[in-house]
Amino acid sequence: MYELKNIDKKFPGVHALKSVDFQVKRGEIVGLVGENGAGKSTLMKVIYGAYQPDGGQVLIDGKTVRFADPRAAMEQGIGMVFQEQSLITNLSVMENIFLGYEAQFARFGVIHWKSMAQAAKKQLAKVKLDIDPATVTADLSFAQRQLVELAKVLTLQERVKGNLVILLDEPTSVLAKEEVALLFKLVRELTTRASFIFVSHRIDEVMELCDRIYVMKDGAVVDVVDRGQKTVEQIQHKMVGRNVDKQYYREPRQKPFDASTVLMKLENIDLVGRVKDISLTLHAGEVLCLVGTEGSGREAILRTMYGMRSPTRGTMTIKGKPAQALSPQSAVARGLGYVPRERKIEGIVGGMTVYENMTLSQMGRHSSAGVLRIAGERALAKEWIAKLSIKASSEVADCANLSGGNQQKVVLAKWRSGGSDIMLLDHPTRGLDIGAKEDVYDMIRDMSDAGVGILLVADTLEEAIGLSHTILVIKDGAIQKRFDCNVGAKPSLFDLLHYMI
Amino acid sequence: MDFQRFKPHLPWITLLVLVAAVGIVDDTFLRPANLLSLAGDIVPLFIMALGLTFAIYIGGIDLSAQSMANLITVVASVYLAPLGGWVALLCVLVGFGMGTISGYVTTKLLVPSFISTLAVGGVAFSLAQYLSGQRALNMDAAQRDSVFGWMIAKTGIVPNELFIAAGLLAITLFIERRTTLGRALKAVGAGEPAAAASGINVARFKILAFAISGALAAAAGLLFAVKLSGGAPTIANGFLLPAIVAVLVGGTPLTGGVGGVLNTAIGTLIVAVIRSSMLYFNIQATQQQMVFGLVLIAAIALTIDRAKLRIVK
Repeated sequence: MYELKNIDKKFPGVHALKSVDFQVKRGEIVGLVGENGAGKSTLMKVIYGAYQPDGGQVLIDGKTVRFADPRAAMEQGIGMVFQEQSLITNLSVMENIFLGYEAQFARFGVIHWKSMAQAAKKQLAKVKLDIDPATVTADLSFAQRQLVELAKVLTLQERVKGNLVILLDEPTSVLAKEEVALLFKLVRELTTRASFIFVSHRIDEVMELCDRIYVMKDGAVVDVVDRGQKTVEQIQHKMVGRNVDKQYYREPRQKPFDASTVLMKLENIDLVGRVKDISLTLHAGEVLCLVGTEGSGREAILRTMYGMRSPTRGTMTIKGKPAQALSPQSAVARGLGYVPRERKIEGIVGGMTVYENMTLSQMGRHSSAGVLRIAGERALAKEWIAKLSIKASSEVADCANLSGGNQQKVVLAKWRSGGSDIMLLDHPTRGLDIGAKEDVYDMIRDMSDAGVGILLVADTLEEAIGLSHTILVIKDGAIQKRFDCNVGAKPSLFDLLHYMI
Repeated sequence: MDFQRFKPHLPWITLLVLVAAVGIVDDTFLRPANLLSLAGDIVPLFIMALGLTFAIYIGGIDLSAQSMANLITVVASVYLAPLGGWVALLCVLVGFGMGTISGYVTTKLLVPSFISTLAVGGVAFSLAQYLSGQRALNMDAAQRDSVFGWMIAKTGIVPNELFIAAGLLAITLFIERRTTLGRALKAVGAGEPAAAASGINVARFKILAFAISGALAAAAGLLFAVKLSGGAPTIANGFLLPAIVAVLVGGTPLTGGVGGVLNTAIGTLIVAVIRSSMLYFNIQATQQQMVFGLVLIAAIALTIDRAKLRIVK
């Protein structure tokens, strides 16, 4: 009943969806899996009307439709249950359910709360949630909010003739096991009234729930698997695509690290939130990778090491000296460098030149009595532009106009030119094309050769395995398992996944 | 032509067009003597706008500038007799200190700068009322002339105020372009998260920006007091709006990160031309604020960086 034909979507520099065909039949539960950046979220946004495709057709019951915005998609029966929950927490449950559709309860602009409460009660019954519709949303548990969100989407049943298509984006990521089972039961019951598209990175769950699974990679659908046709391993192989090439991650360049020189040490670190009892040691020349799912606590640990968060318990030492009350300023002074995940926000300053960006972390070294030696800065920038073959018209080019890969090189040059010997890399290859990725891998090996200790949160598991000497698997804020990743004896994807999920 | 590429050139083109237009209508306008006295008259406003530029350059605002200038006219009038020339130092220190308070409240207590500076401005106003006993104060004319007379004298046909303005512009331009302070302020204005992630002590530099703004507002107040040979808690009222207009029309947007003090110099000249043309066209002083209000709205709407400001409240 719902069909996408040859859907194409391009963004500046990225071909996000490549001629995607996608089909949902009446009452079906369809799964959608893929790695980060495979195009899942873009495809979802096209389906619920947040993006308009550049090419191809959207068909409902064989008729071509075009949605200007999500509301238009809702009028046609397509609803989205958001992962980052879309409920407004200071409104009551019923206000949230009917947000934007209050007119049906209003007379001369005044809302009749009783009838709204009644209608809300009816919606909540659909998801078997027995709560007072006047409850303020903030007082609900996460699982309850998820159900309210679903109830909100199910109001489409009354508003729209015909069938519904409901998208569930990572609905289980914050749920406990019993809650997941309840949700699945509910979804199966609701298939009499609606079809579902289920997006999750937990492949076992997708396989349990879905009638059919679409596997995406690099913006294209690479496989469609019917229930029970393939194993978890086979689907994962499809998601990754190629057999991982050893050259790609520069594995032949991996040398043993210097285990006698400890650069940074964390002992029994606790953080506000879930992260508990983290201990790790980073040696000179070591690439240490933190592996875990989104929200497992990897980034929080990285930011703590850079002084952007303070631990509630435990001790950190940098090069043998205690590092209490660390701030980014003192971290930089002690030789740390941080390559953030959000390159355009935290990595580079758009509107400033290449040389200004490179010396931003080390202005003290390029000034006397607060007066900058600009000629020296420009010479340094020229040297690093050549060294890393950064594609910029000159050292005075605006960083905002460089491509993602070249921006990342500027960020790396900023730290390397300042002599940082502890590098914290958060998704350093996110959003880069393959060539730029390989440049970053080379730089990581160069740094490793120079005795820099590297703490890495990789974009994909293969990247983590390929690049690192040591892997720490983190789940729910605790270290589950340590893997040695010597060349020739690297753990497999599935070794890691076992401890991640 | 692409508006985004045209935008940086808008201020000086506006200035030239305005000067030409007024020059055609009013044939006395372009005489050197008229232009010089016009420029000389705007100097206190220019100094205040110069300070405001620092606050706006980092993406903040300093609404206390006018009250600060008011307070300083009173301080200067009260303490000229006992302190002599040292009163100038006292004035600048008071401005720097109160600016530091605004900066501290903004960065450490996380009160948005438009509120923190408004509050500090209220404090400054009260102080001025207390110190002055709510009266207009007069300086001793002889002492004023011997200590600060040089400020308002002329060298040849050029008012000395213009040299003061040029000196301050040179110093602030040097700070902006050649010092770590200027670079840090630019980084904070253009991309504060990246500046923080590069290990820059963002809070310290922001506090400094407000302190500089306060110090320059104080300098403006001092010069104003010398010109009028006295002070009162409301004497500089009517400065704030044109000063903000000067910064924004000059091309430093409220979102910060681009523009700078040279832009403010051009912006101030635009304000001066608008003001003198209003005199020529017999627009009442009471109506001038209305014109500046309209110009301000137009300037913000034209210059603000929508990419940086998703939600406006």
